[in-house]
Amino acid sequence: MEELRYREFENYLNNELSETEKISFEKRLKSDTNFKQEFEIYKALETSLSSKFENEEAETALRNTLSELGSKYIKEDKIKKETKVISLMRYRKLMVAASIALLIGFFIFRNGTPVYGDFSKHNNLELVVRGDNNETIKKAQDAFNTRNYTTAFAQLTILEEQFPDDTEIQLYKAICLLELDKYSQAETIFNKISEGNSAFSSKATWYKALSYLKQEKFEGCKQVLKTIPESAEEYTLAKKLLKKL
Amino acid sequence: MSQKQHADHIYIEALLKNDSKVLSKLYEKFSNKIVAFVRKNNGNSDDAQDIIQETLITIYHQAKEKNFILTCPFDAYFYLLCKRRWLNELKKRGTNRVTILEDEASIKDEHEQQVEETEIFEQQNQLFESKFKELGAKCQELLKATFKIKSMEEVAEFLGVTYGYARKKKSQCMGKLTQLVKNSNEFQQLKDC
Repeated sequence: MEELRYREFENYLNNELSETEKISFEKRLKSDTNFKQEFEIYKALETSLSSKFENEEAETALRNTLSELGSKYIKEDKIKKETKVISLMRYRKLMVAASIALLIGFFIFRNGTPVYGDFSKHNNLELVVRGDNNETIKKAQDAFNTRNYTTAFAQLTILEEQFPDDTEIQLYKAICLLELDKYSQAETIFNKISEGNSAFSSKATWYKALSYLKQEKFEGCKQVLKTIPESAEEYTLAKKLLKKL
Repeated sequence: MSQKQHADHIYIEALLKNDSKVLSKLYEKFSNKIVAFVRKNNGNSDDAQDIIQETLITIYHQAKEKNFILTCPFDAYFYLLCKRRWLNELKKRGTNRVTILEDEASIKDEHEQQVEETEIFEQQNQLFESKFKELGAKCQELLKATFKIKSMEEVAEFLGVTYGYARKKKSQCMGKLTQLVKNSNEFQQLKDC
């Protein structure tokens, strides 16, 4: 009985009832307060949860921005932070975040093919060493670290002119392209870096694999992963991904 | 509702857009007062930072989900929200409240209404979230996939079940959740608001 009722809510919300069913449903909403109350809760839950899960990534990005601004503008108690006293509240939040991350990881890895999102945790862009007070560097960093890849790409392109030989800038530029689904442009850069002998060559190879993964070219992805040498920092990740494929 | 949007609504928009430039203005302009309040009342600036951040996240969600429109100055609205959140936190920690309910009278009714809207929004969300966590792991998994992926065909494929089964399960799990919410004390209280 109950179960049927929720089926009906679902169908109504999805606009899948026939005209007659719809009329009788709406009639019941008016006459049956208990029915109405449950429907209101059902609907509110639907809106609330769907908004929450849809905006999960955006929320994380916003949290990053806010933490950064928070530490910048609320400076006192610096000494405390330096001695790494984590306030109870924050510690609790960290625990929660960690357990959620675990849960999500568990949830995803148990279910079939791996997806790009599971493996695309980019390191933060930190170019500060390239000369102080460079406004473009700061902008590029901020944009990239808050996942604003269009802006990051634009800023990195400007930087590339200032530092034409900087492989890291090129690599991050390509990561932006990958995030923006511009695969062939991204792969051209990854290939170039990966064939060179900079410190970033195996990282570029790894990203080339991720680019295939994102396009669901699983065979290509495997082949690329196999070329990552055991000595590389990305080897463990590569092995893990290979196992899933 | 044809409420008039206040000029400070830019801060709400900045939250929606994760606009760090405007948000940094927000911190610059409004955080001092809140930090001072928290520190005067058994807290430190880490606490204040948390309070400010969590309040902003709530406003973000409210704007995203309910198209929240700010109709009063941000300053008063935000300060009152943060203040009440901190007093709540103190209560949870069991700290005796030594202070101070100063200037509450200077808040206009219409401002208070907006503050309450946000608070009710948050209480409802917290209720939903906590009940969601009471569901079995299977239901949580399925619902989460449903809301993230949207298309039920894809959800079914993702979970390796048939389309019909996924839909049946979804309304079952949502029904269970509806019951949990309906029968909770918090819901009864919220209803009376």
